[in-house]
Amino acid sequence: MTQAAVRDEDAAPERSLLARVAAADRPTLALIGVLVALVVANGLIDRNFLSLSQLRNTLLVTAPLALLAGGQTLCMLTGGIDLSVAMTATAAAYVTGVQSADGPAVLAIAAGLLVGVVVGLVNGLAIGVFKVNPLIMTLGMSGILTGLLTVGSQTFLGGATRMSELVLELGGGTIVGPIPWNLVVWLLLGGALVVGLRRTGLGRLIYAVGDNRVACRLAGVRIWQVETAVYTLCALLAAVAGILIGGRSGSVDLQLAGSYLLPSVAAAVIGGTSILGGIGGYTGTILGALILAVLDTMLNLLTVDEALKQVLYGCIILALSWAYARGTASA
Amino acid sequence: MATATATTRPLGPAAGRLARRHAWTGAVVTFFVLLLAWNASQTRNFGAFEIQTLLASTLPLAYLAMAQSVVVIGGGIDLSVGAMLVLINCLSARFMEGTDLRGSLLVAAGCLAVAAALGALTGLVITVSRIPDIIVTLAASFVWGGAALFVLHTPGGGTSTGFQALVLGSGSAWWPALLCLLAPLLLVWAPLRRSRTGIAVYALGSDRNAAYLSGVDPLCTRVVAYAVDGLLCGLAGLATTAFTAGGSPQSTIAMNATLNSVAAIVLGGVALSGGVGGLMGPVFAVWCLYLIPNIMLGLGVDPSYGEVVKGVVVVLVVLAGGLLRARRNRAP
Repeated sequence: MTQAAVRDEDAAPERSLLARVAAADRPTLALIGVLVALVVANGLIDRNFLSLSQLRNTLLVTAPLALLAGGQTLCMLTGGIDLSVAMTATAAAYVTGVQSADGPAVLAIAAGLLVGVVVGLVNGLAIGVFKVNPLIMTLGMSGILTGLLTVGSQTFLGGATRMSELVLELGGGTIVGPIPWNLVVWLLLGGALVVGLRRTGLGRLIYAVGDNRVACRLAGVRIWQVETAVYTLCALLAAVAGILIGGRSGSVDLQLAGSYLLPSVAAAVIGGTSILGGIGGYTGTILGALILAVLDTMLNLLTVDEALKQVLYGCIILALSWAYARGTASA
Repeated sequence: MATATATTRPLGPAAGRLARRHAWTGAVVTFFVLLLAWNASQTRNFGAFEIQTLLASTLPLAYLAMAQSVVVIGGGIDLSVGAMLVLINCLSARFMEGTDLRGSLLVAAGCLAVAAALGALTGLVITVSRIPDIIVTLAASFVWGGAALFVLHTPGGGTSTGFQALVLGSGSAWWPALLCLLAPLLLVWAPLRRSRTGIAVYALGSDRNAAYLSGVDPLCTRVVAYAVDGLLCGLAGLATTAFTAGGSPQSTIAMNATLNSVAAIVLGGVALSGGVGGLMGPVFAVWCLYLIPNIMLGLGVDPSYGEVVKGVVVVLVVLAGGLLRARRNRAP
């Protein structure tokens, strides 16, 4: 019935502000609808799901995924993709873990973040300045990091990886009630992303580069600077996410964040960010990450086995992006 | 380089492109020969056995690189190749267990039919839904991975020794693996490439709109490309079954295989933008990527650095290719 109302407004020569907002945010509203439906379904399956402790668990899982997907969103908005986020996160967590064993916690975290910045700078400069295809560059970077970590874990990064109390608290600790610490980290960075994309010059340039690269170049935009900034930010967010994941699990291995790579792309896509660039935003990605996390919980609650879980996961990603494509095509 | 293309330009864009394509394949083949010679000089009594090992252990990835090439030439990308490999690997390992050679071959034929059908279905969904290839195949990779777990919960299954010998050869007999590699090239790809549909695949990859306006049917073309992709992934799965004598439904295998296939096609001269490249270049690239860790082992370097070197090589090759292209465009 709301759709009918919107359509009526469309037909009218002068559309009211409310109808325009509703039309522009229709995909977001639909995503919220899907999320609410999933939460209600979860509540029906298991009454405990709506409890505070379960809410806390869901948020704990969502925060790192949403951060990784945030970086992915930035890259996808410029028309690129970052396939090295998972390995960057793992590397950052690993370095933090090793440094934590002998040294102050803050320095260890700084070392982990530095890994992210270096990886992102290399990615960004190669893609922006040397025009390497983003898919290949980040794929190569992923391989390079895998190799370095495999060797490093036996030589220069050897020794115990034990997360410090600070990291453990950040990754899995609770402030009050259902609110974990990592939610605070996510809210700060996520808020900065949402505002930054909408209100700052860089944010607008990111959309512009993804929308029409040639026009940007002709307008005097230094595309390489935008791309370098985007891939550096993406890797930095990945490093933060990696440290949070490491803090939650308490120990670090080389497979720590591997399972987050495809969901990070999926969350951005479900949230309506186009893989071709220029369309989307972080609010959608947040909803996408929440939907994936709630979906994951639901499949766990139903105690479906891993096989069916993966099949359903794939089908739902496909169904959501199909519905999204149809929705935007008709709009 | 710039002068070379300048002289070929009067021959027309088609001839120029042909020359460039062969130039890249030639470079990859030369690179492979150099690496092979280096590796041979490190190994005492380098001979048929080493060749057999090379061919047999790279057979799955070589098929997979060919599969990825077909799709990328057609202007898409398939992130589900690895998952399809794992699915067919599990399917065949489960049903081949305890059969003789004839039974195994029947199962293999069935698996290939399933793989081609699933590939065609992927192509159909991509065309009908108009979602980018990368998203559909990403979703498909979850579905195939789940299906593989459904078929085989834990690593297991088996195959017949006759099937293993037929596909990979035994001892130092290297020609069965080579024949198996060449069979789909000669029986499927060579006729297809010369047919209307094959040319349509290249056309669709070069310029989707121009192809559509010249009467190429996108639906039919993409379904055929993805069906061939599925068939080749199926072969990769069967080769894995023969090589490991069992099935393993681990998603990390799928992930690594997919990433390696993309790296191999880029090294092999298939442009990610579509419409350029062939199937032989990627196969040689797979062999090169296999030899790099071996050579490093021979040099006494930790072979784990092989991943680092592979990554650097892939990035540098793409970088060099991009620079050459930029210089060519700048040349009058």
